[in-house]
Parts: sequence; C-alpha cells; structure tokens
Amino acid sequence: MGSVTVKNLIKQYDGVMALNNVNLEIQEGEFFALLGPSGCGKTTTMRCIAGFEKPTNGEIFIGKQKVNDIPANKRNCGMVFQSYALFPHLDVFQNVAYSLNIKELEKRGPGTKIKTYARMINKKLAKSPPEIEKKVMEILEYVELAPYRNRLTSELSGGQQQRVALARALAMEPAVLLMDEPLSNLDKKLRNSMRATIRKIQLDLGITTIFVTHDQEEAMSMADRVAVMKDGDVIQLGTPTELYSNPKSAFIADFVGSSNIFKGSVIGQDGERSIVQLDGFQIRSTSIPKNKEVEVVIRPENIEIALGEEHPGDDILEGKVLMSTYLGSIVRYDVEIGPYIVMVDTTYQSGKSVYPPGANVKLTVDPEKVFLL
Amino acid sequence: MKMLKRFDGHSLIKALIVLFFIVFLVVPLFSILIVSITGVPINVFGSLVDPETFKSTIDAFKNSSLEFYKSIASKSGYLSALMNSLELSLLVSVVVVVMCLPIAYGIARTKMPFKKTLTALCTIPLIVPTFIAANAFIVMFGRSGWVTYIYESLRGNGLLINPSSMIGIAMVQVFFFFPYALWPMVAAFKLSDITLEEGSQNLGAKNWFTFAFVTMPLALPGLISSALLIFTVSFSDFGTPIILAPKDLNLIVVEAYREIAGFFNWAGAAILTVIMVVVAAFFFCLQHLFTKGKSYGTVSGKPKKQKIIKNKWLTRTIAGYTCLVVLVLLLAMISVLLQSFATTWGVGVLPDGYTMANYQAVFSSSFENVTNSLILASGALVLSVVIATFVSYFVVRQNASKLDFMTTVPLVVPGIALGIALIQTFNTAPLQLTGTATILIIAYTIRRLPYMVRSTVGTMRSIKQDIEEAAVNLGASRLTAAITVVGPLMIPGIAAGSILVFITVIKETSVSILMAPAEWAPMSLAIFQNILRGEYYTAAAMSIILVVLVLVLQAIATKLSKGDA
Repeated sequence: MGSVTVKNLIKQYDGVMALNNVNLEIQEGEFFALLGPSGCGKTTTMRCIAGFEKPTNGEIFIGKQKVNDIPANKRNCGMVFQSYALFPHLDVFQNVAYSLNIKELEKRGPGTKIKTYARMINKKLAKSPPEIEKKVMEILEYVELAPYRNRLTSELSGGQQQRVALARALAMEPAVLLMDEPLSNLDKKLRNSMRATIRKIQLDLGITTIFVTHDQEEAMSMADRVAVMKDGDVIQLGTPTELYSNPKSAFIADFVGSSNIFKGSVIGQDGERSIVQLDGFQIRSTSIPKNKEVEVVIRPENIEIALGEEHPGDDILEGKVLMSTYLGSIVRYDVEIGPYIVMVDTTYQSGKSVYPPGANVKLTVDPEKVFLL
Repeated sequence: MKMLKRFDGHSLIKALIVLFFIVFLVVPLFSILIVSITGVPINVFGSLVDPETFKSTIDAFKNSSLEFYKSIASKSGYLSALMNSLELSLLVSVVVVVMCLPIAYGIARTKMPFKKTLTALCTIPLIVPTFIAANAFIVMFGRSGWVTYIYESLRGNGLLINPSSMIGIAMVQVFFFFPYALWPMVAAFKLSDITLEEGSQNLGAKNWFTFAFVTMPLALPGLISSALLIFTVSFSDFGTPIILAPKDLNLIVVEAYREIAGFFNWAGAAILTVIMVVVAAFFFCLQHLFTKGKSYGTVSGKPKKQKIIKNKWLTRTIAGYTCLVVLVLLLAMISVLLQSFATTWGVGVLPDGYTMANYQAVFSSSFENVTNSLILASGALVLSVVIATFVSYFVVRQNASKLDFMTTVPLVVPGIALGIALIQTFNTAPLQLTGTATILIIAYTIRRLPYMVRSTVGTMRSIKQDIEEAAVNLGASRLTAAITVVGPLMIPGIAAGSILVFITVIKETSVSILMAPAEWAPMSLAIFQNILRGEYYTAAAMSIILVVLVLVLQAIATKLSKGDA
C-alpha cells in the first residue's frame, strides 16, 4: 500500500502540452478520482503514474520511492483498463493468475520457468502450483466468479469481464490500483451496482485507488477526493461536497452537477449582500465578488418554484414554464424569465400535480445559495 | 550510457531486419543498376572491406557510360525481346479480361447452374505452376499430342495450335492466370447497385442497354485494374516461356536467363534486369492507382444488393461457356496425370500402357528433390515467420512506414530479376553465397515476404495495444509479454501466412531454376531438367506429386482459416 505524489508533472507530445504542471498528493488508502472532459489529461496523468508514458518533466513518487526511472513492469501498480484488456487466449483463472506466474518466473530455476511459460500460453500444458491455485480461487470467490474459472473471457458478460479485470489487478497485491474509465462500457444499471462493488472492495482492502472518469456522478458518488482537470491542468481539488457546494469556477459549477449560469454585473451592496444586475432583473448574493463583472451560478435544486398567486416574500422572479420533465423522484422545469431559461428542480411528492407548460410561476432563491464567480 | 539504454532489444532487432533488406534486396538491385552502366560485374561488399577491390570498382565507374543502353536499340535481340514480351503481356491481359467477362458476370450476378462447383474448379490454376501447365499443353497440342491426333484424324494436316509459339505461350498464360483477374472482376460486377439498374430500367432502358451503360461503366475501373495485374504477372512469368518459347521467339525473361546462365554476359543481363524491374514496377503502380480509386468508390455504410438474374437461357449459356473454360483446365491436368502413369504415349488419344514405374523412379532416384523442396520451403518459412512477425510489430506498434514500404518492394521485382541481382552481388568473397542453399532460402523469403507480412500485419492490428500493456502492468517484461500474450494471439495469422509461403516456395520456378545448386535441386528444378532431358514421364509423375502436395497444404490452410472464424 502506498501514497502517490505527483510533483510538477509536465507532458508534451511533439510540442503540444498534454499536462501542464500537475500536482497531486494522494493519501494512503484514499479513493481518488481524476475527473474531466475527454482530452483534459486525466488518462495521461494515470499513464504517467503507471509508467506507460515518460513525463517530459516532474517527479512521481509511489510511497516514498521516486518511480520516474522504474519501468512499468516494476512499479507494482495494478491497472484496470477501459477495454479491460483481458487476455483472450487465456481462461478466467489464468488471466487472474498472470501476475502470480510472472513472480514465479522471477524466483525459481529453469524447470519451473518452462512450466510457468507453458501454462501462461496454454493452461493444458502445465498445472498451476497449489499456492497459486489457492490464491487465485480466493480472489475469484471474492469477486463471485469462482464458478467461471474455466471460461474464456469472451464467454462472459460485460460485468463479469469487468470483475475479472479487477481481480487480475488485485491478484498482484498492487501498491496502487489504477482504474481508467472502468465502467464506461457497462449499461447504466450495471454501472450503479459495479460502483458499489468497487467502493466496497476498495474499503475492504484499504487500497490506494486512482480512478479516471469523465462522469461526474461516478466521481462524486465514489471518491474520497476529486481532482477536476481541464486542458492539462488541475483546476480544483477537493471532496465531492466541497466541489459541489463551493465551485471555484463556472466550468466546475457546470461540470460537477448542473447549474444555471448567467453573466451579470455587481451594482451595489445591501448589507452583506451584493446586488447583481442581470438583463431585466436583479439578484442578491452573500458571496463576495472578485470583479464587477461576474458569473452568477445557481443550482437548479436551490430555486423554489410556486404558482403565481401562492408565493409571498423577497427575491421573487416571475416567469413562465416552458417545459416540465418528470424524472421520477424530481421534476425539472425550464422556466423562461426575460431572455433567460432557468432550470429548476423540485422533489416530486406523489399525488402533487406538475405545473403545465405556460403556467405563470414565481421563483425564489436564497441569497446564500447564489455564487458569484 | 543513455544512448546504450535506448539501444535496447527492439531497436537491435529492427536494425538487423533493415540490414537484411539492405544486404539482400537494396544492394543487389542497386549494384545491378551499376553493372548495367559499367558493363562489368562489381563487388559492392568486397569494395567495403578490400581496398584493391574498391579500386577496381572505381575504375569500372570511370568506364561507365550509357553505351550499353544505347546498344539496346542497335542490338536488335534486346529490343525485340522487350517488344515481344510487351506484346505477349498485352495480348494475355486483354484476352483474359474478355474471357473472364461472362464468367465473372455469371458468378457475381446470375443464378447459373453448378455455380459453386464451377467457381471451385476455376481455382485449379492457382495450385499449378505454369511450367507444368506448359508441359500439359505440349501433351495436348504438341506434335504427338492427343488433341493433335484427334484433329489430324478429323481434318488432316498440321497442328490445331502450336504450343511452341507466341499463341501457345499466350494460351497457357491465359488459362492459368485468369483466376488472378476473375475475383477482382467478380467484385467489380458487384459494385453496381440494384437501385441504379432498376432506375435505368424504370426510365425505359432495355436490359442490354442497362448492362452497357450502367453496369459496365461501374465495373470498368475494376476490369482495367485486373488487366494491369495480369499484364504484370504475365510479364514476370518465367515458367511458360522457358518451356515453350521457340528459338526464334525472344522474350525478355528467357533472354535474361540465357545471358546469365548461358553466356555469363553480365552487362546484358543487368540491362535486361533493370528493364524488367522498371516495366513491372510501372504496371504495378498503375494497377495500384486504379485499385485505390476503386476501393474509394466501394466504401459506404449501406450494404449493396445486386439483382440476381435468373433468365434460364442466359444463365445456361454462361454456365456452358464456363464449363468449356474449366474443361480445358481439367483436360490439361488429366493429360499430365495420364502421362505420369504412362509406359509410353505415342500418337493416340490415350497412352499405350499404364505403369507405376514413373512414380517408382521418382521415389527411388529423385526423392531427394522432394525432400529438398520441403527443406528449402521450411527454411524460407521459418525465416519469413521470424522477419514478418517483427516487421508487423514495428509497422503496427511503432508506425515504421519505411520498413512497411521496403517489404512491398519485392512485389515489383520479377523472380528472374531478383535471381540475377542476387547472383551478381554474392558470387565473390567476402559474401560468396551464390550456389548455396542459404542464398536460395533468402531469395525465396524475400520474394514471398510481402504476402506473409500482409497476413501478420492484419493479425497484429487486431491485437489492441492495451492487451500488451496489461501484461506489462502485471509485471511482465516486454519480452515475456511478447512470448505469453502477443505470440499466442499472433498464431492464426502466422499459420495462414506461412502455409502460403510454403506453397508458393514449392511452386517457385524462376528463382529455383536460376539459383538452385545441384545438390539442393528442388522439385521444380528437377521437373524442368527432366523435361529438358526428354524424360517426360518422370517429369509428369513429379509434377503430380507437387500438385498433390500443394493441394493438401491448401486444404489445411483453408481448414485453419475457417477454424479462426
């Protein structure tokens, strides 16, 4: 087990900057997510840690050891590939046993060596020694794949293949577990249950895990901490709740959960609150603006919605429902206010009716939940 | 230290492969070009190690001129050889395309009777080396051939067709090269979409009109490309002319062979070699241009559907015509088979008597040739497997496009030209290899490597890089990953490619006849020598053994490739 430290990591491909001074400190036993849109450098960062890419500059430590000059096959980072990269010519058992066989190759004499090579090519050629047999079966039981030990990986379902890939990486008892978009090939339902499985295994084993994803929901629901990347930079790093409730930029506010983002300018103060002028109305916020020109960020669930005649109180905006989308537990309204279309989420209580398109509604926002960025 | 580290196993192997190509392909072709202007043999490798040789090479350069090229025009032999060869290739390529038109159309677009059987029989020529086919035509149409016998008893005097003439050579090439054009042409006829043809009919066009103005124009690039392919194949063919060409018919391949094997005329052989390579390369490139355009036209997401013609009159006519073509092939092969069992075969439809003695003779006195063929083919197989595997790794994983190009160069070098180039380069110290099995195996390997590389590159592309990375990630070194993961996954591609190499090496004529030393004579050389000596019956028996061997291997290859799918 080990911590992972990335210092001033820079990676250039033919002069194009892929990573621009990335710094990360990942604690031992932490579940750490690298989140960002495609091309942001998250996979490159992971591949540098795994040793598949040579950094142009910067240092990488696993535990206390600097690994820049250690080849990929000696770094002891178990990796789960996006495509799973299972060995198609080997069965489930031999896939999982692969790293154990490699260790066998290193320590014993020529006889064992030949036998090991033989069973890595085709299991019929040689039998596995009892200690490997025992260890692999333990892991297979753990991921609930013991009955499938003799199957070829092509004969398994997507979820099962995913678990083989995970088991294969865990079998080497890696210092760090690296997962590259491991759930992107699964359907939604399976993805949700695999999230739980992966998180449970990670907590059980207390293994330091770096998880690359472009799916913010995945990162937020699984990780202890999330680093959001964009254009080769880490633009914000924090726990999921920090990122959600205190986004440092409009990009993060939009990428991590959905947000209403409007451009406006600060025109005055009302006690601790700043008054922001938008096109046609004003809005108040408790957050402290850095500039005069600001981006107003409001989460859809922080807006309350009521029919025109029902709602008393301050900070009322009047608008018209354009569309209502029933999403099960919540209802999403698109409300037209002047030139803006505002997203509003309300929890749906069964029996209550949904406001129809065209309905005149009033919106209220707590100034404490309006961010000025 | 850093330099040393970067020069790891991979780059060492890559350097060795590049060196192999430079030594055995680039330098020989280059030095034959030099010989063609200096007029005397030069020793490239000797010049590198020995100052004395270097000096004489420089002297040779001082005397170099384009004199020898001018002599082509004056020395009428070379010019007429080139003209005759071009005429033959033109004739063959036009006739093949015209002959194949109905067959290709029948296979692609009609429901003709016995389509499957006829299609299968159309592949016979692929397993028969042309010099065996040429000999078969002598058995049929020669002075004492059985067709001639029937012809004479029906009508009187002379030969129906003289096999030892331009027409005879063209006929053998037409019948035994047409499959190379047939399949591209079938594909070309499938280009035209049903919607286009129905559109044409909907506008009031008659069937023949639609065929002439819609189907044909769409197929035309494919037909031209097929003709160009046949042109190159016919131009490079050595087996047919060496058996059939009469003394007064000059063909460039035969002329080059005689210059080197008969007169040791290096200057002449070199000029002819350069001309051969240039012509073959030109038509090869031309054909590739056409193929490129064609494939561009066919790539589309929507599956094409052809209208299948069921008109009984038309399909039966086409099937009957195809039967006639196939019949010629079958009769040619049956003639060789009968000859192999014949005691003697004088003038008559059938041999005078039957015996196993010819086969006994082969097994008792010439069995060595069979084992030689197998050993040489195995050698070429091993060498090409090793080279092709690494080449495909570098091409796919490291984008080694120069290496990729280098492995396709042998496609444009006619066998006889490669042979002459290799003999010239390696017949003196320090690398005296001419007349050894080694150089023969290397020649076979270079000639067939392009096919092997195509096969292995295809398989390598299907192995995703992350599978290899996964092995490395799990602790395997690059070498261990190659042995345990990449290797096993490559096996189907290697197997398919290596059987192809094995078959073509056994069939190989030009390089074998030109380069094989007596103690390593393969079957093809033995058959050739038997024919020259007039031992036709043992030649026939050995031919049948060769064809059966190829047939068996082909069957195994088909079974293997079906197993993958």
